[in-house]
Amino acid sequence: MRQVRDGEVNRLEVLFDRHQRALLHYFLHLTGDRAASEDLVQEAFFRVLKYRRSYQTENTFRAWLFQIGRNAYLDHLRRGKNEVAWPAEAPEASSPDAAPDRLMEEKQETALLRQALAEMPPEKREVLVMSRFLDLKYEEIAAALQCEVGTVKVRVYRALHELGDRFFALRGEPMS
Amino acid sequence: MNCDNFRQQLPECLAGRLGERARERLIEHLEGCSGCRGELAHLGIVWRGLEALKLEAEPGAAMKERFQETLASFEAGLEQGRLAAVPLPAQSRQALPRWAWQLAAGLAILAIGLVAGRMLAPRPSVTPEIAQLQGQVQSLHQLVALSLMQQQSPASRIEGVTYAYSMTQPDPQVEEALLYAASHDSNVNVRLSAVDALDKYAADPNVRRALPATLAAQDSPLAQVALIDLVVKSKDRDCASALRRLASRPEADEAVRQRAQWAIEKLDIQGESR
Repeated sequence: MRQVRDGEVNRLEVLFDRHQRALLHYFLHLTGDRAASEDLVQEAFFRVLKYRRSYQTENTFRAWLFQIGRNAYLDHLRRGKNEVAWPAEAPEASSPDAAPDRLMEEKQETALLRQALAEMPPEKREVLVMSRFLDLKYEEIAAALQCEVGTVKVRVYRALHELGDRFFALRGEPMS
Repeated sequence: MNCDNFRQQLPECLAGRLGERARERLIEHLEGCSGCRGELAHLGIVWRGLEALKLEAEPGAAMKERFQETLASFEAGLEQGRLAAVPLPAQSRQALPRWAWQLAAGLAILAIGLVAGRMLAPRPSVTPEIAQLQGQVQSLHQLVALSLMQQQSPASRIEGVTYAYSMTQPDPQVEEALLYAASHDSNVNVRLSAVDALDKYAADPNVRRALPATLAAQDSPLAQVALIDLVVKSKDRDCASALRRLASRPEADEAVRQRAQWAIEKLDIQGESR
């Protein structure tokens, strides 16, 4: 990114190849909309180009990219495009030779968890997506959300706890 | 440490990211605390269940193509800007051979002679042919910028805005197109680029007149902040009401509210009648 910042903007293509998948998944998890997510990836990388001179090396590029991506997503929300349509096609977790009853049960549980996650407030869903699905370190999440690492720790725990509450409530067995 | 502190470590523990020392202390606590053990069991079910919601979606080739198109437009815009504004780099100057410097010095002396001659002689007006040529070149620049700004693709419209920015002569029609793009373009990146390009026209009365409406029409925090900066640069106190509205609007982005407040103080319009 330093080379991009210093004028070699075509070097951004390498970073695009490396990070476009994670960024696409971030937006897909938040919007549930493939077309909107692809637009947001383009917008995020355009902003990287535009604001390349403001890149500071104390944070990783990935953390800075997600900070920029998050701002693009917040703008997207403000434009009123905040409906979450969770993608229906989730990968199968079970092995193909699992018993049919067990398969059905797992499918139902996955559907309930998907529903619980989709019903979470966006800011709580976001920290879970970052920590669970994108494997971002707490330091990177803190840089992206522009808060302290300790705050991220608390937010992830609270979000996971709330997701559990919602999930177990949907299953008919309150957690806490 | 109390139970709350230990519970906050559970997600890291489930992700396998907890350091060895912290993990040992957590295990020690869990051995004696059934409440936290229960919490770990419940959170573990949720954490493992989330594995099934991980996405497998791969970016398509079209995404890369779109990015390459944007990158190429951006580079072309930078190149236009360089050609219009940037002098020969220092490195290139040093690389010139000795004879080139001698030739340059000779030409410089000749040029000084010519300028002195022109200054001493009665000043002729620009010939009609040169004026016509200058007009044609300006029209061509205007045509390219305006036609690019009307394209369907945001990348092309950005190229148009960047081209307009690199134009050496301000042009009323281009200025109007930039104002329209800053207020109404559907793509926030085009709006942002247009605001940047309007910087050149900051002192123009037409731009100053249009700024309050442009600021009010904006919904992107980035573009709002860029516009506020433009308002401050143009010392446009007519934007006082629009700035106050932004500074006090609860649903506005916090950074925007702060920037608007900063602009109000900077322009010294805090106490003016509303």
